[in-house]
Amino acid sequence: MKSIFASNATQKVLAFGSLIVLFIFFSIASPNFFQFNNIISIMLSTAIIGILAVGVTFVIISGGIDLSIGTVMTFSSVIAGVFVTFWKMPIWLGVLGGLIAGTLCGFISGVVIAKLKIPAFIATLGMMMITKGLSLVISDTKPIYFTEAPGFSDISMGSFLNSIIGGLEVPNAVVIFFVVSIIASLILNKTILGRYNFAIGSNEEATRLSGINVDAWKIVIHAMCGLFCGIAGILMASRLNSAQPALGQGYELEAIAAVVIGGTSLSGGEGSILGTVIGSLLMSVLTNGLRILSVKQEWQMVVIGIVVIMAVFADIARRRKQ
Amino acid sequence: MRKAKKFLFVFLAMSLIVYLMGCSSSANKQQTGGSREKPYIAIISKGFQHQFWQAVKMGAEQAAKDYDVEITFEGPETESQIDKQVEMLEAALSRNPDAICIAALDSKAVIPLLEKAKEKNIPVIGFDSGVDSDIPVTTVATNNVAAAALAADKMAELIGGKGKVGVIVHDQTSITGVDRRDGFVNRIKEKYPDIEIVDIQYGGGDHLKSTDIAKAMIQAHPDLKGIFGANEGSAIGALNGVVEMKKVGQIVVIGFDAGKQQKDAIREGKMSGAITQNPVGIGYKAVEAAVKAIKGEKVEKEIDTGFYWYDKTNIDSEELKPLLYD
Amino acid sequence: MEGIDKKFPGVQALSKCRFDLRAGEVHALVGENGAGKSTLMKILTGVYSKDNGKIFYKGKEVNILSPKMAQELGISMIHQEFNLIPHLTVAQNIFIGREIRKGIGFILDEKEINKRTEEILKNMNLNVDPCTKVMNLTVAKQQMVEIAKALSYNSEVLIMDEPTGALTESEIEELFRIINQLRQKGVGIVYITHRMEEIKKIADRVTVLRDGQYIGTADVKDISIDQIIKMMVGREIYETSQISTSDNDEREIVLEVKNLKRGNVIKDVSFKLRKGEILGIAGLMGAGRTEVARAIFGADPLDSGEIYVKGKRVHIKSPKDAISHGIGYLSEDRKRYGLVLDMDVELNIVLASLERFKGLLGWVKRDKTKSESQMRVDELKIKTPSLQQKVKFLSGGNQQKVVIAKWLTQDSDILIFDEPTRGIDVGAKNEIYKLLNELTRRGKSIIMISSELPEILRMSHRIIVMCEGRVTGELSAAEATEERIMYYATKRE
Repeated sequence: MKSIFASNATQKVLAFGSLIVLFIFFSIASPNFFQFNNIISIMLSTAIIGILAVGVTFVIISGGIDLSIGTVMTFSSVIAGVFVTFWKMPIWLGVLGGLIAGTLCGFISGVVIAKLKIPAFIATLGMMMITKGLSLVISDTKPIYFTEAPGFSDISMGSFLNSIIGGLEVPNAVVIFFVVSIIASLILNKTILGRYNFAIGSNEEATRLSGINVDAWKIVIHAMCGLFCGIAGILMASRLNSAQPALGQGYELEAIAAVVIGGTSLSGGEGSILGTVIGSLLMSVLTNGLRILSVKQEWQMVVIGIVVIMAVFADIARRRKQ
Repeated sequence: MRKAKKFLFVFLAMSLIVYLMGCSSSANKQQTGGSREKPYIAIISKGFQHQFWQAVKMGAEQAAKDYDVEITFEGPETESQIDKQVEMLEAALSRNPDAICIAALDSKAVIPLLEKAKEKNIPVIGFDSGVDSDIPVTTVATNNVAAAALAADKMAELIGGKGKVGVIVHDQTSITGVDRRDGFVNRIKEKYPDIEIVDIQYGGGDHLKSTDIAKAMIQAHPDLKGIFGANEGSAIGALNGVVEMKKVGQIVVIGFDAGKQQKDAIREGKMSGAITQNPVGIGYKAVEAAVKAIKGEKVEKEIDTGFYWYDKTNIDSEELKPLLYD
Repeated sequence: MEGIDKKFPGVQALSKCRFDLRAGEVHALVGENGAGKSTLMKILTGVYSKDNGKIFYKGKEVNILSPKMAQELGISMIHQEFNLIPHLTVAQNIFIGREIRKGIGFILDEKEINKRTEEILKNMNLNVDPCTKVMNLTVAKQQMVEIAKALSYNSEVLIMDEPTGALTESEIEELFRIINQLRQKGVGIVYITHRMEEIKKIADRVTVLRDGQYIGTADVKDISIDQIIKMMVGREIYETSQISTSDNDEREIVLEVKNLKRGNVIKDVSFKLRKGEILGIAGLMGAGRTEVARAIFGADPLDSGEIYVKGKRVHIKSPKDAISHGIGYLSEDRKRYGLVLDMDVELNIVLASLERFKGLLGWVKRDKTKSESQMRVDELKIKTPSLQQKVKFLSGGNQQKVVIAKWLTQDSDILIFDEPTRGIDVGAKNEIYKLLNELTRRGKSIIMISSELPEILRMSHRIIVMCEGRVTGELSAAEATEERIMYYATKRE
């Protein structure tokens, strides 16, 4: 576990510190904030953006960007809907279909970027539009409901923790979020994929000259990001008990903001999953807290915008000091 | 050579896609110029993804059939894309339609183009929400203020005339958002002094965001008695929030519009009821008014298509069934 | 290697080149820039593919298709541009591409590579922690890590492309010690360099290339440096000598800095610069020379200190201030800081002074920029097919001239040259020297930072020596010798 915490620890301490400060502030400001129920609510609202952010962290560390994560997520949920509701397949097949759809989208983005040499920004912008359009086409612009597949909503909203330890009612989505994050962290820090991920982001040419098939690894990284989008898509569909084809756009920017707050450099080469998790928690604590204080929505946006800029500034200031 | 081959491949692929798209859209292709067999009406809506607009489209298509006219139905992707809608209107004008129906996203932005239409003697029919101008020969719409006021009356009745309620609206800039919010809030203030509106938040019609908003509202005000969701997404959000916070039965949820999830929730008693407009009627009446205007017949300045309260008791009635889309 | 041909679009990079290497020898490969040294070696290491010719390795013909294949055969190359990954640790860099795994084959064994790296480093007598990130090492240490990486492949052929470019004297000694060690173990080393004195010191044989063609091979002990240079450029060249400095002390002082301080990189620096003088700043890597230059130029903020231009106190907060006081800075890394490589010669020359060529509403007066830049091209004898040639296609020497032209257009009176001849071949170096002398003759004052002692000694009227952020000595041209400079350069507190 040491190396998970060791890399660019300062930014994470900073982000974590702000998280604690926010927690304390909101707890004092409203007695309704620091309650088990609300903490769970916060984590639940973090889960989907959080998983997207974890996925895109890999891409950003490799020096790339993926703007299609929001709509790929939607696309995955629509595909799951097609399997389960249109074709009456079992739930597990629907889940699998959604995950494969997401992975495939990421894979295609990766091929377009690595082999056709199209800049990631453009390639994934294209993928964003394609998946958004396809979601609407496939669903015939209507939401696909999972009402005939009872149990589908349990993927997100059930609580198997509660059935193991009575009284600990943590929705599965939250558990899945943390499990996924831990696995992602292990992949990033302990496996060859993670190592090459950092290497490509830090100095792509040098990595190539070290005899590493950079193109293939880039495709793997994007495909993996797509898989995470697929997971997010399933959780989203399950939570809403429907696949909403019109949602998803705009989520990518929230996810990227969370990644950046967590200290991952947009120029690649450094970053961590723990940072991203803290970053996305920070965003939802902020939103939740401001809502509980009944702060006007317009002002909520202003505050969050300021926080994003401050977080990145703190990161740059730290770098300068080094 | 390889480059050339690649290029050729991409070119072929693109042509194929364009060809396929051309095929599927040729059904509603429009001739330009005046030599049409049937009158042509261009309809610009506020969106097309939302179920509501699909229902409006259905009504419009029905009317087109009944009156034997051709129509096109288009709208921007989201209800904030005012600029896109203006572009669409521009394009529609250049096709020289016999009439234009528009659901303006912004009550002022489209006025210059409508003046152009007036110069060309193309009658303009407003639908869903009005335009700040006297160019439209009529406006076919739900009276949103009155509809939301009815929701307020129902809310007061269901919570016993006192307590705290919250409001979730889709946005703070569109006319429907503003009218429904004000209609609800003003009615509560005027008639029910014991009811306190503790919070008004905006979820952009996004189901997930609205859910989180509802949960935060309930968390902040544990003694909340009711939530009003001002459109489908907001209503589903309010419903989800109440379900996730395990407050079903303790908090009254009143929605707006229809959709399968709302209808199911009402049947199951998780949602107390909702206001529905008559989207099919709006579409139908808009085309009908356009046909009349083309013929030079007189039309009323405002056509109210009505709104209805529905709950468990009347959801399956013959009167309401056709108004409630899935 | 025999009869190697390589064509790039529009250029015959190599034609019928040959090269042979024996086990246990150091074979220097020299030639002017563009002679084809790097290309030849990149073919040997599989970075480029050859069009014609054969490669024999240990008597057998081989076809090397990729860098990985070359490594597996035991051929490693240390590139001029570093091929380390800054955000990874030393150990992770050394083992990249052949990570040691444990368990089911995905999990990395960090402990094992750290242990093995430690052994390799110990063998090289190198005191570096395997867990440090490469970005936190000095350039010299990074170079050593590159060598360690190559050695860890058990390479039998090691190609070094200008390995001493960024090293200080003592580090070069250390490198030579390691090279000797490798030679004794039977490793064959190809040593690409521009520095003639190094050939004499370390190489057994030398091969010269010119314009992509093989010129000749000789035993180092049988050939003089002048002969090698003659083979390289195909003509005799004479190094310029400096102009007379007898009246130096009476000239006007154009720049004076007093007690400059910035963090722990600049501790206390004061000096004066006279009109028409070349002031050399010598010192080892990390002595703070570049930092002083950047501080005077306003690129980095100073903690304290005073700067006087022509006797007047000035406050320089940004490069813009410095430029307005007539100070120009020619960075050591001209590709990164000095030029916009993708733009043409004309624009690069006028870029910094576009304000002067601005008409109504910011419209650029093309006729003026054209005539001005044409004048500079003629004046500095910049070899370019046209003003519209992109700068990245010019040779290193001509690129440097474009940078100089840029500052001349700016009307800078004080020019700070940071390593003006780095990466420039012998013939072009000479032209740069001539240019420096010409500039001083016209009354410009020059500060020249250089790591090459012969260059400093040859060109400077006066030399100040820095060590660890302080000025440790000042020498006139007459007093200065390599030994004296090295004495001051290593005079630590």
